[in-house]
Amino acid sequence: MSGALLVAKGVTKRFGGFVALGGVDLSVGAGERVGLIGPNGSGKSTLVNCIAGTVRGGGSIEFDGHDLAPLPPHRRIRLGIARSFQIPRPFASMTVLDNLRIPLLYAARAHPLLQRSRGRETEEALSILRQVGLEAKAGRLSRELTQVDMRKLELARAIASHPKLLVADEALAGLSASEVDEILAILLEMKGRGVAVILIEHMMRAVLRFSERIAVLVVGRKIADGPAETVLRDPAVERAYLGQ
Amino acid sequence: MSGPLFANALVSGLLLAGFYAAVSVGISIAFGMLDVVNIAHPAFIILGSYAASIANASMGADPIVTAVALSPAFFALGLLLYRFYHATFERRGREPLRGLAFFFGILFVTEVALILAFGVDYRSVTARYIGTTWRLGTVDLPLRLFVPFVVSVAMTLSLQVFLSRTFFGRAVLAVGQDQLALQLMGVDPVRIKQIAFGISIATAGVAGALLVIIQPVQPSLGREYIGLVFAIPVLGGMGSIAGTLAGAAILGVATSFTATFFGPSWAPAVSFGLLLFALAFRPSGLFGR
Repeated sequence: MSGALLVAKGVTKRFGGFVALGGVDLSVGAGERVGLIGPNGSGKSTLVNCIAGTVRGGGSIEFDGHDLAPLPPHRRIRLGIARSFQIPRPFASMTVLDNLRIPLLYAARAHPLLQRSRGRETEEALSILRQVGLEAKAGRLSRELTQVDMRKLELARAIASHPKLLVADEALAGLSASEVDEILAILLEMKGRGVAVILIEHMMRAVLRFSERIAVLVVGRKIADGPAETVLRDPAVERAYLGQ
Repeated sequence: MSGPLFANALVSGLLLAGFYAAVSVGISIAFGMLDVVNIAHPAFIILGSYAASIANASMGADPIVTAVALSPAFFALGLLLYRFYHATFERRGREPLRGLAFFFGILFVTEVALILAFGVDYRSVTARYIGTTWRLGTVDLPLRLFVPFVVSVAMTLSLQVFLSRTFFGRAVLAVGQDQLALQLMGVDPVRIKQIAFGISIATAGVAGALLVIIQPVQPSLGREYIGLVFAIPVLGGMGSIAGTLAGAAILGVATSFTATFFGPSWAPAVSFGLLLFALAFRPSGLFGR
């Protein structure tokens, strides 16, 4: 893909003798919505961990023209890569608002100690909370939130770092149908901001509704990549992923 | 039990508690918030005592003025020490025992360096307030304890305000809760931890100056404080400054009452028995998360 935002080539990762990623290529364009699917243990989370920098692997990953190899995770975030966690990880003893103030203050800023202005961060944090439907709970401790609200907070924190690419790692797992719709609406709204999204998800209904393109990983290798209807008709995908 | 004796024991305990807060607040930050088991903290307290004593002997400088003036130097020492610790131990994986060995090494190296430089004799300081005692009715208020109490409480409350009200403080709290999540918000956790560790060592320098006002010091005195500096944050709740103050108050008053009514040799046993009793009912400490 020419002019892609993210270009991963031949990404490899071994954990001892286990090959988690055996040379995976993945490109994502600006504002593109990509579904990343595969059975458990196929390497989806390892791939996004390599992109986020929390796991170091082989191969090359470029983002927005920058080689990510020498960059630690926080520098990658500052370039515009955000990720939400499969299990929400809010700062439990802080309010919902404070959970957002931290990325607003620090992301994309090299000298956090020099940041003194408070008003703007609070205003922006409240604006993001409004978008995800958490404004009324801004003053609550994050540990008091329901599961769906924690997922919203997780996405809100990702939005607060002003990403160009958001990786949503199983953001819908364990939610009811109406809650899935709420989270999907937030993710779909990212398109309007020009933010590319990689959605890692097992729930095919949500993946099909969300994705412009689907990439399929199986045992550390990409076996398909393309429009949803094409990928799901691929015999290899049916055999390996859908079990048919 | 006479009223005046009780009142004096209570006041002495509270004054002692103020000093205890100063010696342990740095551990509450390093161990409770940063997950750095800095068992060498008492060595930096003794280093602070020696710096105050030397400045006092050579220039007549007040120990507290020296402590404040040297706090940037202690802060810088903390920055360097954490950077070295991170590069040689922490970055290579979570191995708390190896880190513990590192800080034990720092403790003994500092102690030996002080012995080689200054010998094993006790050192003390002179200041106008050290020999003065105010009397409030039947209660004695020795300035030798009261001045360190005021400085300590001011330092601890300032830290509490700094950590709870500033964005840097929030980042320090966040790094203690989830370092990876913080990093994935664009924050460099090593930088946050380095600065917070610098603050922790700066508090040790100030505590050292307060210690030498209260009692003469010699290089190996730091080892006697290892139990205390860890017990107070554990009792109060790791990573909680308010908890550190509460833990210091409980152990300070318990120490004073035990020493007054049963003899000083019982004081450590009662204090640490109290700690074990409290932890049996509240393992995360009084203000623990």
